[in-house]
Amino acid sequence: MAGIIIENVSKSFGETVVLSDFSSEFKDREFVTLLGPSGCGKTTMLRMIAGFEKPTAGIIRIGNRTVNAPDTFIPPEKRDIGMVFQSYAVWPHMTVFENVAYPLRIKRQDKQTVRQKVEQVLDTVHLSQYAQRIPSQLSGGQQQRVALARALVAEPQLLLLDEPLSNLDAKLRDSMRFEIKEIQKKLGITVVFVTHDQIEAMTMSDRVIVINRGVIQQMGTPSEIYRHPVNQFVADFVGKINFFDATIEEGLLTITGTGQQLDYHGPHTGNVVIGIRPENVRFASRQSDLRGKLASQFYLGDVNDCRIDIGGILMRVIAEPSTYAKYQEGDEVFLRVEDFSVFDDVGFDDHRRILT
Amino acid sequence: MRSTPTPTLNIDRRTFDPKWLIIGLIVVFLVIFQVLPLFYLVIKAFFPNGHLSLSAFKRVYTYPMNWSALKYTVITATATMFLGILFAFPLAWLIGRTNLIGSKFFRTLFVTTYMVPPFVGAMAWMRLLNPSVGTLNILIMKLFNLSKAPFDIYTMGGLVWVLTGFYFPYAFITISRAMEKMDPSLEEASRISGATPLQTLAKVTMPMMLPSIVAAGLLVFVTAGSCYGIPSIIGVPGQIHTVTTRIIDFVYIGSQEGLTDATTLAVFLMLIANIVLYVSTFPLAKKQFITVSGKSTRPNMVDLGRWRIPISLIVSIFALIVVIIPFFTVASTSFTVNLGKPLTEAGNLTLRYWERIFTRKAIISSARNSLLSASAAATFGMIITCMMAYLLVRTKAKGRKIPDFLITVGSGTPSVVIALALIMTMSGKFVINIYNTLTIMIIAYMIKYMLMGMRTVVSALTQISPSLEEAAQISGAGWFRSLRDVTLRLIAPSVVAGWFLIFMPCFYELTMSTLLYSNNTKTLGYELYTYQTYHSQQTASALATAILVMVILVNWLLHKLTKGKFSV
Repeated sequence: MAGIIIENVSKSFGETVVLSDFSSEFKDREFVTLLGPSGCGKTTMLRMIAGFEKPTAGIIRIGNRTVNAPDTFIPPEKRDIGMVFQSYAVWPHMTVFENVAYPLRIKRQDKQTVRQKVEQVLDTVHLSQYAQRIPSQLSGGQQQRVALARALVAEPQLLLLDEPLSNLDAKLRDSMRFEIKEIQKKLGITVVFVTHDQIEAMTMSDRVIVINRGVIQQMGTPSEIYRHPVNQFVADFVGKINFFDATIEEGLLTITGTGQQLDYHGPHTGNVVIGIRPENVRFASRQSDLRGKLASQFYLGDVNDCRIDIGGILMRVIAEPSTYAKYQEGDEVFLRVEDFSVFDDVGFDDHRRILT
Repeated sequence: MRSTPTPTLNIDRRTFDPKWLIIGLIVVFLVIFQVLPLFYLVIKAFFPNGHLSLSAFKRVYTYPMNWSALKYTVITATATMFLGILFAFPLAWLIGRTNLIGSKFFRTLFVTTYMVPPFVGAMAWMRLLNPSVGTLNILIMKLFNLSKAPFDIYTMGGLVWVLTGFYFPYAFITISRAMEKMDPSLEEASRISGATPLQTLAKVTMPMMLPSIVAAGLLVFVTAGSCYGIPSIIGVPGQIHTVTTRIIDFVYIGSQEGLTDATTLAVFLMLIANIVLYVSTFPLAKKQFITVSGKSTRPNMVDLGRWRIPISLIVSIFALIVVIIPFFTVASTSFTVNLGKPLTEAGNLTLRYWERIFTRKAIISSARNSLLSASAAATFGMIITCMMAYLLVRTKAKGRKIPDFLITVGSGTPSVVIALALIMTMSGKFVINIYNTLTIMIIAYMIKYMLMGMRTVVSALTQISPSLEEAAQISGAGWFRSLRDVTLRLIAPSVVAGWFLIFMPCFYELTMSTLLYSNNTKTLGYELYTYQTYHSQQTASALATAILVMVILVNWLLHKLTKGKFSV
């Protein structure tokens, strides 16, 4: 059992509050991702779970042990955690084998067991033939797998990953994502993963916790977060989205400045912000939800990335690739909106920038 | 396109390239004043009368006093090295990696010691641990009711102690820097693997630091072995002669034979220094693991727990004994009329020595000489190093590494050797005669201390991305304009820092000045030394205190200027 319970954890460095009132529960064998922009406090949370930072207030439990509380602190070495660092932190003065064997040797396991376990884990990360190399002879991806093997060798119940993929090139990052996920399933361990990359978060996690400025914004499965973002920050950070000012009156939503309207039957009324994901808009052959003029389009192979003028305002639409040949810039188009979100207008200004 | 050299300098390889002129001029300067004199020194040792003869060697190295000097030098330098590392490594670790109380203060304190003239330590410890009148000796005798003084500074042990107190900061700085460069997650990875802080120290931190520790040790070995100020004040009264004091004695004899004997001994020092320089530049440097951290995390401070207060106390006591008490002793000596009596006794407090150092003509003229030669050395040194640093970092000019190499060798050569080589070649024997002038002093200072400026400017330039200059050029600024508007502005604080780093050690230089001075070109270091040895310890102490205050002020200024990057 290695669930994690975090109760009202806060952390400040002097005057700066890095994390405030963080509460969450991670289930055993769950893959949880802490997602947020840099400086949001996600790494600090991870380092508190590891024991490298002490919370200013709050309680952290791992399994059935309290590791952080006002009167309790268990140092990192006693927490039985595996961790992969962003910079890998593979020791340059030891061979791959020695690096991976280190946690076992610290636990004074006998030579036979050490050899066997190290060989096994090196096999899992496909590094068997590199056991006697020194780290400087390995590529970044290989060093990263050494770090992963070292984190896994002592069979921890909990694995912490601190942006482990951010220093890899795009292709390698793709394949490592699936490898890490595979290994997690095979070993059945709990994983806490920190990243600012929403694709990593979406593809790997059972649950995502979106953090901004030290405050949890939303917790949920990747699809919940994506389809039902609770606020504009989450909607904007996870995926692409168009924000427009709008007003709601009697079941009708009017996009400010365009006069165009959409049906709406929800709890919001008055001045709101509407969020429309570019991929939730389809080209229609006749009059539908919205109409506009095709301002520009870019053929990307798998999609047609368009900007459409819906009456003085540009909306980004990611359409079927086949539409590229059908329409030309300046053409009038009809659009069907398959899904949209409505937020209270809280003065979140990010939608005023050009959507990329 | 990062590595693209500045285009304007690179236009046409067939036409004349100003880079080569600069490199050429610097190389010619260094060859004439450094390489050839040192070569001449070696040749002269083996060919004293124009043909190969080892008779000088035989005579010098069979003479018991020389043999013992050699032995003492090696023993004291080795002992200082081990003791220095024994102090420096734990201190570097405690100050850099743990929650030691007052670690910032201790760092500043030890780093400041690096800039203090070493003979100040000798002066202080002589007063403290003189076997008959040493203040500390008398205090301990009273405290424990002893009939005999517990310590005698005029011994090998005393010499090693004083050398260590003033050379361990060299090791401290080297090791601290290496520790700062180490990615803290390397240590965290060990903790999370189940190792305690102590296990982590032993299995990860120490092995990774080992090359730097060895390099630091060798540095201490060479500087202690080629030190003149401390052994001449502490060693000579106790009949402990070292190679440096013997060399200077031989030169003072003045005869041709004396000079030959000095040369022969100097070759030994040079050999050791060169071997050490070679070892720490090549095999060791390669082993220094540089790990680039993905993001800059603050190093995780090891919590000393219940040991925090006791350990902080021990470090405080160490700092008190090694740095504060000696400084205080020198300062208080400068106010004391009768050194045999306590300062607090009626009528024993005076300002007359302070008045003397600001009024006596000889002192003022020496101070002027020092100011002049140190400023000249620093200014010319910075002009050379700035050009060299630029060519080294920003261009791919052929031969740009030669001056860098020569400057490194010059700085690694013991002061005594440099001075001796200059005396032998620059006194009219080979066209140039600058003996007995300030020029010879300035050149010697430059050879010995230019590296300090070079390092500072090179590291500042390396941190400035070439794209900043390129951005200025693309905006229409010419090569010179972009250099002036962008590069020079950005490295200006480091250039000033580099200037002071050359200026300070030259200002109170003793060893080379002792050999190169003439009646008209006495320097402050030499003046201080003669006052200490022959005339008035109080006057010497007043001078030393004034220098000390100056060092602290300059250090503070550098700290402000470079925002803490260079305060050494």
